[in-house]
Amino acid sequence: MSYAYLFKYIIIGDTGVGKSCLLLQFTDKRFQPVHDLTIGVEFGARMITIDGKQIKLQIWDTAGQEAFRSITRSYYRGAAGALLVYDITRRETFSHLTTWLEDARQHSNSNMVIMLIGNKSDLESRREVKKEEGEAFAREHGLVFMETSAKTAANVEEAFINTAKEIYEKIQEGVFDINNEANGIKIGPQHSPTNPSLPGAGGKDGSQGGGCC
Amino acid sequence: MFRSRSWFGGGWGRPKNPHSLEHLKYLYNVLSRNQTVSEHNRGLLVESLRSIAEILIWGDQNDSSVFDFFLEKNMLSFFLRIMRQRSGGSSFVCVQLLQTLNILFENIRNETSLYYLLSNNHVNSIIVHKFDFSDEEVMAYYISFLKTLSLKLNAHTIHFFYNEHTNDFPLYTEAIKFFNHPESMVRIAVRTLTLNVYKVEDASMLGFIRDRTAAPYFSNIVWFIGKHIQELDACVRNDADHLSQNRLADLVAEHLDHLHYLNDILCLNITDLNQVLTDHLLHKLLIPLYIYSLCSPPPTTSVRRVVEGTPTSSPRLEPLTNGKVSCVVALFLLSQVFLIISHPPLIQTLAWIILKTDRSTFVKGVDKLLEHYETEIRGATSQNDVASSSDVEEVDCTNVTDEEKQRMATTPGDCSICEKPFLEIVFNALDCVENDYAALFALSLLYAMANNKGVTPDLIEHVLRPKKSVVASKDIKYSYSNSIVDRILHIVLLSCQPACRVRLVTLELGLKLLAQLVMCDGKNILAESHRASIESARSQSTAFLRNFYKSEEIFLDMFEHEYCDMSKASLNVEWLCMDSAILLPPTGTPLTGIDFTKRLPCGEVERAKRAIRVFFLVRETVLMLNGELETQLPLTNPQSCVQIDQALDLSIARYNSDLIACTVALKDGQKIRRFLVIDILQLILVEPDTKRLGWGVAKLVGFLQDIEVTGDKDDSRCLHITIHRPLSNSTANRVPQLSAKFSFDDNIRCMAAKQRLTKGRIKARQKKMQHIARLLDIPGQSGPPSPAYVGAGIYTNRGRGSRENRPLFQTGRVPGFAAPRRDCTTGVVHRIDADRRRRDHESPSRVAMSNAKKDTGATPKSREHSTSRGGSKSREGSPRMPRPRSEEIPLELIKKAPPSSSATTLIDMSPKVPRPLTPRPMEPPTVSVVALPTVSTSSESGPKTPDVASITSEETSFIAENGSATPTRKKGAVETV
Repeated sequence: MSYAYLFKYIIIGDTGVGKSCLLLQFTDKRFQPVHDLTIGVEFGARMITIDGKQIKLQIWDTAGQEAFRSITRSYYRGAAGALLVYDITRRETFSHLTTWLEDARQHSNSNMVIMLIGNKSDLESRREVKKEEGEAFAREHGLVFMETSAKTAANVEEAFINTAKEIYEKIQEGVFDINNEANGIKIGPQHSPTNPSLPGAGGKDGSQGGGCC
Repeated sequence: MFRSRSWFGGGWGRPKNPHSLEHLKYLYNVLSRNQTVSEHNRGLLVESLRSIAEILIWGDQNDSSVFDFFLEKNMLSFFLRIMRQRSGGSSFVCVQLLQTLNILFENIRNETSLYYLLSNNHVNSIIVHKFDFSDEEVMAYYISFLKTLSLKLNAHTIHFFYNEHTNDFPLYTEAIKFFNHPESMVRIAVRTLTLNVYKVEDASMLGFIRDRTAAPYFSNIVWFIGKHIQELDACVRNDADHLSQNRLADLVAEHLDHLHYLNDILCLNITDLNQVLTDHLLHKLLIPLYIYSLCSPPPTTSVRRVVEGTPTSSPRLEPLTNGKVSCVVALFLLSQVFLIISHPPLIQTLAWIILKTDRSTFVKGVDKLLEHYETEIRGATSQNDVASSSDVEEVDCTNVTDEEKQRMATTPGDCSICEKPFLEIVFNALDCVENDYAALFALSLLYAMANNKGVTPDLIEHVLRPKKSVVASKDIKYSYSNSIVDRILHIVLLSCQPACRVRLVTLELGLKLLAQLVMCDGKNILAESHRASIESARSQSTAFLRNFYKSEEIFLDMFEHEYCDMSKASLNVEWLCMDSAILLPPTGTPLTGIDFTKRLPCGEVERAKRAIRVFFLVRETVLMLNGELETQLPLTNPQSCVQIDQALDLSIARYNSDLIACTVALKDGQKIRRFLVIDILQLILVEPDTKRLGWGVAKLVGFLQDIEVTGDKDDSRCLHITIHRPLSNSTANRVPQLSAKFSFDDNIRCMAAKQRLTKGRIKARQKKMQHIARLLDIPGQSGPPSPAYVGAGIYTNRGRGSRENRPLFQTGRVPGFAAPRRDCTTGVVHRIDADRRRRDHESPSRVAMSNAKKDTGATPKSREHSTSRGGSKSREGSPRMPRPRSEEIPLELIKKAPPSSSATTLIDMSPKVPRPLTPRPMEPPTVSVVALPTVSTSSESGPKTPDVASITSEETSFIAENGSATPTRKKGAVETV
């Protein structure tokens, strides 16, 4: 499967906010949400199309590795995008966002796109964090914001794709150094540009690969 | 629950409910019928494998019979069979297979199920299977699978993976094959896995790790780190022009990753493992490459030749020891090592070698060095620590006795730093005469060593920490390292010179280290000569900043901004050493994107900024060394400010006249009725207090210095008022705090408000400028120190009748009065002014008279200058008052409530440092306002058009001035000093 770019994402946030479920929901749509089943996964990849180009998203969940500083550091650094997730039914997961964000900002490259996600929007009756609060936090820290539900799949697609769009725009603007793989962006196998200053070059063959899903 | 899967095969009696035992049985049938993967069935197989994951997890959470069936039919063996086929499209199937396994192991909650899954060794067979790792997708799923498994490791599950009898641990041994994989996420997964493995407390497994894998794995890591830092060094050498900053940043970050990884391993405290790792690091990396690279040029070329002549003791080390890195890089990397790793045996050895190695051992090479260290340590422990304390260079703050001097002279091998080659190099790097490139790293290294918990106090005592010794009976003698303090003070003094090449960050770090070196038991133990040096640094930094003292608005804004910026966070050395930008030679251009403190200033504005910072830094240190508290900064004491929702007593007679009723129309159409109050520093909008008659509650407060007032073209009763956010509040948010249209009852009140606001703004700024002038000892300001903070005058002045204040404003009341513009040679004026003021203070009893005198003294001058002033600026913002007197009612006397809180504030106000007794109580603070126009601060105190346009234009004028005005100004200022 060929792609124009590969973007690496990480998912961060407190335990139990539904990170791995979001990941699985996005990478494998065939796992349709059912009320009596919670499934998650720590890694997944999926092809999406932006601007007529095939873009592969690789999402790495960092759960369970917080104890090791070397690991969190490296994860942040190697990613082009991060989904910062909290649970709208648990206020404390929202309060911890600042810490997560500080960590992310300290270790990541400055161009990393961070998307704030209020998960479990299906549990409206147990909501503890207002949507406006999430919006305000995102505005204050310059993040993109969205409320999702891994259960109903609401907005999950959008969350990942909008993040990708933003990364893509940054590439177009030349903000990301795409030749540096440490930034979490990789140019597709056939796309190693002859002219690196024109990331859009050779985009035509990007549409040939079929999505895996 | 029911969903359509029309695209999927259909038929075969597939049960409708996908989450049921029946469905799993159906899938089992599918797998058994399709044991060979082909073009035709691979879609079916993938979907079946996916569904199996789903059902199993559902079963784990809901119905145990599902799992029983899976185990009973040994379905994992199907997985293996599929995997092992090399037919077309198998990677497609393999990916799904691995993902199914991932899901399985990630989601299973039932521990028994997990054990069953692991028990038949199928998992190990999957682990050792040779997948097509060239396929990045397979690679990613495979390594995630291993990582997921490693997260399930504990004292029980370890036995499913590590086979004690066959001495086999595929999960670990397969994973570490990828430790240097080009894909960063794969490398991270491998590291995570190794750490998860080491974490498991299982003696025999750890024994296996140590005996079978530690040596090769660790030596590989060490070798790659060595190679890596040579790359880093090459990048630094070849990039004097800052062209590959990104690449360098990556290399530095990668090196930090390595160190953090090593530290994470060491912190698990597995004795055997740590020993092997420490050995490898010391013998093959840290000593031969990092420490011996200190001797590479430029600092000590002579030493280098010696090293090159030394044959390396181990042939395996050749590639590393030969390709040394440059001294600056070595200093930088060693700082990182000391900042990150704290494993005592490793750190102690390194510190000892740097601090104590003498030349004779040094030339013998790495192994001898370590041998020497071992014997020294053994010797030292038997001899107590007597020896170690005497062989450091001996200097103390009291007097060096003749005996000691003699001993120092007779045992040069121990005492002189030039016999300690590594220490000498570090010390020499502190020399900043040319630039501070290496000095910054040398300071970082010394700082990191002094603060590393793995270094025993006796080793750094006296070199990097003060030494406290009890002499004779109860006499405590303090001593510190003379040579290092000498050098740091030299850096500090250099920083205070114009056109020096010392960056702010170097100065800050130097001062930080200095504080650690000479502060002991809460007091400084500096010797007289050093005390004098730091004092002279203080006066030099003050004198230096005086040159930049401008009365243009931007100076005040800059001053406050820098203070705020600086007090936000003190220097974090660990973060500093994460910044690759400092690895390149210091530069002045901001185009590199390097933080201001980490480069040299560019242009006059930045030079002023730098001078301000140097002043703050040195001042802070001097205060700290003297055990004093800062009482003069920040310029605005937040405690003297009115806060929102604070209740104010507006009933005081003199206060009433200053309440101006108005309607505030906000941009969003909202209209509120408020009373406008103008305090010394603040504009306050109050609303009557419903509980207490005559009281008002502050609903909005803004700093007068940040307001902008313009009249309304169409309505003479209206003003447009904008309150900008203080520059010192350096949030990116530059939206004004308030921007609204104020409507007053009539045009007279409107005019009064405008005048008051405009004047208030000027006065607030003047007050602060005057405060700065006092901080900088600018002549003319030599009167009593200001109230602790500007604005505190409210309190000291309380109870004083307004009559007393009134005359003081007389100068300001001349219609159209404005301060004279100061020309560049006002030194004489200052002195006269100072004399006059001194006279006043000499006879405090004649306050009333002196006030009168002042008036006569000041008025002629203001007249003198009024012409020159007139043309200097547009007066649009401050039209003349119809009744000039009305605006002069002092506003400083607002009584704040609750009284208790004001009482506490009052305490806070009082200077914490004993001040020379001054006649201040006799002199209302407003005197300074009057005196202001005649002193140096006044030069710009003339009417300011308080609109943004003028502020920005001043900014440009500040820069534009560089060419011509500044030199003369500097000259003038120097004369006044």
